[in-house]
Amino acid sequence: MNRNIARAVAAVVAAVAVALPAFAGAYPLQVARNVMMYMALAITWDMLLRSGQISFGIAGLFGLGAYAAILGVVRGGMPVWLSIPFAAVVAAAAAFLLGFLILRLRAMYFSIVTLALAEMFRIVIHNLHDFTGGPEGIVMPAGVIFGGNAAALYWLTLAGLAVALAASWWFEKSRIRFALTAIGNNEISASSSGVNIFRWLLVAFTVTSGIQGLLGGIYVQSYGFATPDGVFSADFTLLPLAMALLGGMHGTVGPVLGAVLLGLVSEWLKLKIPYGHLIVYGIIIIIVILFMPAGILGLARKMSRGAEGGKS
Amino acid sequence: MAAKQNGNKGKHMALKRRTAILAALAAAATVLILLWKPTVINNGLQQAGLYAAIAIPMGLVLGIVHIVNLAHGEFMMVAAYATYFACKALGMDPLFAVLPAAAVTALLGWVVFRLTIQRALKAPELNQLILTFGIAIALTQVVNILFTSQTYKIPLEYVSASIDIGENTFPVWSYVFVATAILYAVGLRLFLTRTTAGKAAVAVGQNPRGAAIVGIDVNRSYGLVFALALALVGAMGALFLTKSAIFPQVGSPYTMKSFCLVAMAGIGNIPGILGASVLLGLSEQLLRAFRETRAWADIVFFVLIIAVILGRSVSWRRKK
Amino acid sequence: MTKLSTTDLLCRFSGLVAVNKVSFAMDEGEILGIIGPNGAGKTTFINLVSGIIMPTAGRIEYKGRDITYLPAHERARMGIARTYQLIHPLENLSLVENVMVGAIFAQGQGLKTARRTAEELCEELGLSDVDRDTARLSILETKKMEIARALANDPEVLFLDEVMAGLNADETHDLIATIRRIAVERRLAVGVVEHVMGVIRELTHRVIVLEAGELIAEGPYDEVSRNPRVIEAYLGGAA
Ligand SMILES: Nc1ncnc2c1ncn2[C@@H]1O[C@H](COP(=O)(O)OP(=O)(O)OP(=O)(O)O)[C@@H](O)[C@H]1O
Ligand SMILES: [Mg+2]
Repeated sequence: MNRNIARAVAAVVAAVAVALPAFAGAYPLQVARNVMMYMALAITWDMLLRSGQISFGIAGLFGLGAYAAILGVVRGGMPVWLSIPFAAVVAAAAAFLLGFLILRLRAMYFSIVTLALAEMFRIVIHNLHDFTGGPEGIVMPAGVIFGGNAAALYWLTLAGLAVALAASWWFEKSRIRFALTAIGNNEISASSSGVNIFRWLLVAFTVTSGIQGLLGGIYVQSYGFATPDGVFSADFTLLPLAMALLGGMHGTVGPVLGAVLLGLVSEWLKLKIPYGHLIVYGIIIIIVILFMPAGILGLARKMSRGAEGGKS
Repeated sequence: MAAKQNGNKGKHMALKRRTAILAALAAAATVLILLWKPTVINNGLQQAGLYAAIAIPMGLVLGIVHIVNLAHGEFMMVAAYATYFACKALGMDPLFAVLPAAAVTALLGWVVFRLTIQRALKAPELNQLILTFGIAIALTQVVNILFTSQTYKIPLEYVSASIDIGENTFPVWSYVFVATAILYAVGLRLFLTRTTAGKAAVAVGQNPRGAAIVGIDVNRSYGLVFALALALVGAMGALFLTKSAIFPQVGSPYTMKSFCLVAMAGIGNIPGILGASVLLGLSEQLLRAFRETRAWADIVFFVLIIAVILGRSVSWRRKK
Repeated sequence: MTKLSTTDLLCRFSGLVAVNKVSFAMDEGEILGIIGPNGAGKTTFINLVSGIIMPTAGRIEYKGRDITYLPAHERARMGIARTYQLIHPLENLSLVENVMVGAIFAQGQGLKTARRTAEELCEELGLSDVDRDTARLSILETKKMEIARALANDPEVLFLDEVMAGLNADETHDLIATIRRIAVERRLAVGVVEHVMGVIRELTHRVIVLEAGELIAEGPYDEVSRNPRVIEAYLGGAA
């Protein structure tokens, strides 16, 4: 019963999301694109978090994907449409190889090294002037994909979000859920149950990084240029993280909820305080961690359980 | 009980060995470079002093409160801003603001600790990490809102003081950072081994539950250590302003570099931070000395952090 | 037939020798008690044979194969299972899902089959209402779930690290009967660590005694309990 309602709601939301360009103007579509982009990143961040690993490196893989896409076209002569999956492959491959090193790390060491990696990618791109265009960035000679058609750009981002949602759903419905949950709870007892910890972390890290790269590719083709400071901006780490925290971690619904709320608030704040609108993210992170570590979803669950308990 | 002591002893010896190796490597590299590029040594040591003086307080917090404070550099940034506006208003030299800056930052740290971090001490480690990350963002953005992203600098004559030896000119002002770093390292050692509060802090750091049982107020000790660390960082904020321009994000690289240095030295090993800083400072300045490699100096740190942390984790795994 | 054996197994933690040259063997269908005072190295010994920590020296053999340095998850797949002294049910997973983990990863079953396996195991151990949140389990049920999780590996060798701790007399009896039944039905070799000697006497065919990492006695419980060295080890530990 409950599940049917949920399905119906999901179907309606999906239909509205697909049809949005029919009745929304350019500005709402732009806002929706931003929200969906961060939502997808928030979902991928949460997917890895289910194993207990906190990555601060979202911006790194996002930016890597962005540069892979644009360089694939400009330097590699790749067709524009192909550059987007190519971005995913490059980011996934980088994560796979780096995974052999950094997935040995845990807790703060893992987090800080992912943060450092993001910086490192930025510096490398920054310094390889001749190939990447250096600090000034690089422009797509053919301009924005789809000639900048607002509806098409919207659908492209929606497709990126769909990939993230599908992957997250797969993580929840397959044995990966059991592997990551067991690892996140206690690695020692997980390994006693036959879980190959490194292997499943590598799967999760590679898949989530690949999607982050894909989103970077979509982003860069939607704007037609990339600069190191732009695509490696800390925003791409900070916003998704805050969104997933606010909505509630360890599932698909939390990050989606958080992204809608925070995404809309931040669009509004951007207009109100152009300098420093990011402060809400800082404050939301602090408040959520201190007062509602399970996010809005966790709070809702607790309240509904409280109501149930009160009845019986 | 005996086992625990044994374990600690082993760990201690490993720490000592690591410090010795780091020191030996740094010394060997220093001698080689000194012969070849004397300015690199001069700049590298000063740079190392700056890094160490900022990293030591972070090491203190990590060693005793067991928290990675991702807002560490941001607190220094706030101290530098406070110093800047105080100096502008009063027309005074930042050097006179060192102690007030320390006091103000310590107070800020105490408040932040009481209001936020203390509540998260029992939460999973990762929550604490995210919490301090949030604090870092909040601090940066508050400054951003108040003062925009414009840079501020106080021009001072004495910072360009230098000594000429032969055909080389050696700027010397930044040795103040080296002196500060050494002062911090020595001072902390004395504080932690000679004073009641310091000994209590060490006890709390090693075994909070045991310390609570013998009547030490654990949260007070943590708060004190946190405030002390921020006092040291606050003082560095004022000193930093003598030399550098400031802007809202100016502190964030120092957060990361400090963590790197603390991790390199091994948690709880404050003298080791000095050695690690020399290694980092010299390597960066060495790359800066050549046009072709100049742009890559910033990457040294990432290579070091990854190499060291990985090297450490591999040896851990073998022991387990 | 020997299932699991060690030769001169040694484990050193920076200076402290936690397990000192222990040689032992465990046969199919045998319930072996592993006893010794606190800190004797019992848990460390189980950690070594289950692959959670690697030995400093010595050799571990399972069904004639050298597994000394094999990772824990591979040993789990080969049929070595264990419970933990400190039980930690997996959060965010229900009772049956907790049990499924071993079936999925140690036995390589698909989710549907694994669920059936886990349900059967829960039934076998007398755990009802399998979709419950693990926070709602009683102590006895938690212990049984821990055993069910280990059995989900479909093991041939099972180690139980102080599973009786915290249970009252009735519950202890219940669990002793359950363990014995399972061991017989599955022809398991079971290693039991327990501080309550009554349990050891009732449950085990044979015991080994560790003291400060060394194996100081071996044999049927009644015989070993009269061994002066063993008595001294326990008294020395208590004093
Ligand atoms: N990872 C470790 N690092 C260092 N020392 C350890 C480690 N694990 C165990 N020890 C030490 O090894 C010794 C044996 O511990 P172990 O847990 O195996 O004892 P035990 O016989 O299981 O005791 P208990 O009956 O209390 O459970 C103890 O002195 C313990 O402190
Ligand atoms: Mg034990």
